[in-house]
Amino acid sequence: MGRAQSSSEADVSPSASASADAATPASRAQRLSTSSRLTRVLGIAGLLLLGIMLAFGLWFSGPEIAMRDSVRLLYIHVPSVFVAYLCFGVTFLGSVQYLRNQSSFWDLMAHAAAEIGVLFVVFVLVTGSLWGKPTWGTYWQWDPRLTSTSMMLLMYVGYLALRRLDLPGEVRSQRAAVLGIVSILNVIVVHYSVKWWRSLHQSQTFGIDTQMDGLMLFSFFLGVIAFLAIGAWLLVHRFRVGWMESQLDEIRLEHALVERRNEGRAYPREDDLLQVRPGES
Amino acid sequence: MTDANSGLPDPNADDLDLDLTPASRPGGDSTGGINLRNWLIVGALVLIGGAVMFQALTNARVFFYNVDEAVDQQAELDDRTFRMQGTVVTEPAKANDGTMTFAMSFNGVEADVRHVGAEPSDLFRVGERVVAEGSWDDDGAFRSSQLLVKHSEQYVEDNPDRLETDPGYEPSEDR
Amino acid sequence: MHWEFVIPGYIIVLGGIALYGGLLIRRGRRLAEQLPPERRRFLD
Repeated sequence: MGRAQSSSEADVSPSASASADAATPASRAQRLSTSSRLTRVLGIAGLLLLGIMLAFGLWFSGPEIAMRDSVRLLYIHVPSVFVAYLCFGVTFLGSVQYLRNQSSFWDLMAHAAAEIGVLFVVFVLVTGSLWGKPTWGTYWQWDPRLTSTSMMLLMYVGYLALRRLDLPGEVRSQRAAVLGIVSILNVIVVHYSVKWWRSLHQSQTFGIDTQMDGLMLFSFFLGVIAFLAIGAWLLVHRFRVGWMESQLDEIRLEHALVERRNEGRAYPREDDLLQVRPGES
Repeated sequence: MTDANSGLPDPNADDLDLDLTPASRPGGDSTGGINLRNWLIVGALVLIGGAVMFQALTNARVFFYNVDEAVDQQAELDDRTFRMQGTVVTEPAKANDGTMTFAMSFNGVEADVRHVGAEPSDLFRVGERVVAEGSWDDDGAFRSSQLLVKHSEQYVEDNPDRLETDPGYEPSEDR
Repeated sequence: MHWEFVIPGYIIVLGGIALYGGLLIRRGRRLAEQLPPERRRFLD
């Protein structure tokens, strides 16, 4: 898919890439990516925190008295949910903003956040499943928490599918925004499922009954901030990719417009038309 | 042959940026995006979603009964399969045929459980909250086919210092 | 104990992040080369 896309992008506009080359001397050539100072800071912070978190989570902290080492999955499982929740929150916010003022920034942000959110929900389900086997004794149960989480995943996969539909841009963005708003209900259901229904899953990790010993809590805390930094890093990059795609689409559209106009003329070139106007002269 | 036949309103190059409407409409060949692939994607999603919903709804009554409720409704439950939650109160006894017998309690109501099936996880022990899936047997015991351990929100670190500081602590047998 | 569940979990999550991040960066580079400089809003 990537190859097909890039080949179609290659013929977008020779002039566009040529002008980019012309305007960017060798010094700027390095910057032709989605990186910036912001992403570098986020990326380095994320990697550093992740390194420390791995040291504490996998080495310095001890096993849990009953769960033994499987408790270490908590340090990535719960932070993954936090990132997913926040991403879906951004999707919700972006969708509201888009419907209010057709902001393409928020439209693209909502899309980017949904994709990152889906990735992290997959992580949540995988780590949860791997954690469930040694503790509960099963990889999967149709328990309220697990069922609602998989429904949430499906809903946001549906959102991403909707964003790929071959619809006019505005119609697609509008429908996606509606879905992005509605889907937040599912996130709330997931979060409160352990409270509202009887569940095999333990309650919220930051609940009243929660107790966690020192180094475990510290590892968990490190996991949360490391994942937040990495999530933000991914989100910025994903947004920029989406932004560039939308810009290139616009350029493509303008070119297609000019070409279509020219096709309709007797003369292939606009310049000729400017000089000789049949019927008028 | 010229502008009149082209179908374009005015080929004058001056209005190039004004006349954006035709091109911003979707291409005629893909109007509305209703093509086979999209229908397949939507169809697959609806199918999977429906299957998940179905699963959710069939389990919707309650994920489990507590022991006291299950005992209370023993007559109505009859031989129906359900899940029962309680705390393990007696050391499980294992028979030669693999049957595991123990007692489970909740809210002061106790029930005997006979488990035939896969071994529960390593966390299974006296004092742990468990969820057993099965049905009431004729003799009043609960016949379980699946035994799940429900962990609490308390995470206690197992470190050597605790031996001296916490008198209630017992190191687990698996180390 | 239970490391056979912990290790795959960490590998899948960290590997997943690395893979997705890597593909994202590559995609970003390819697109950035085609984008004229006057369109580079939100990129710095």
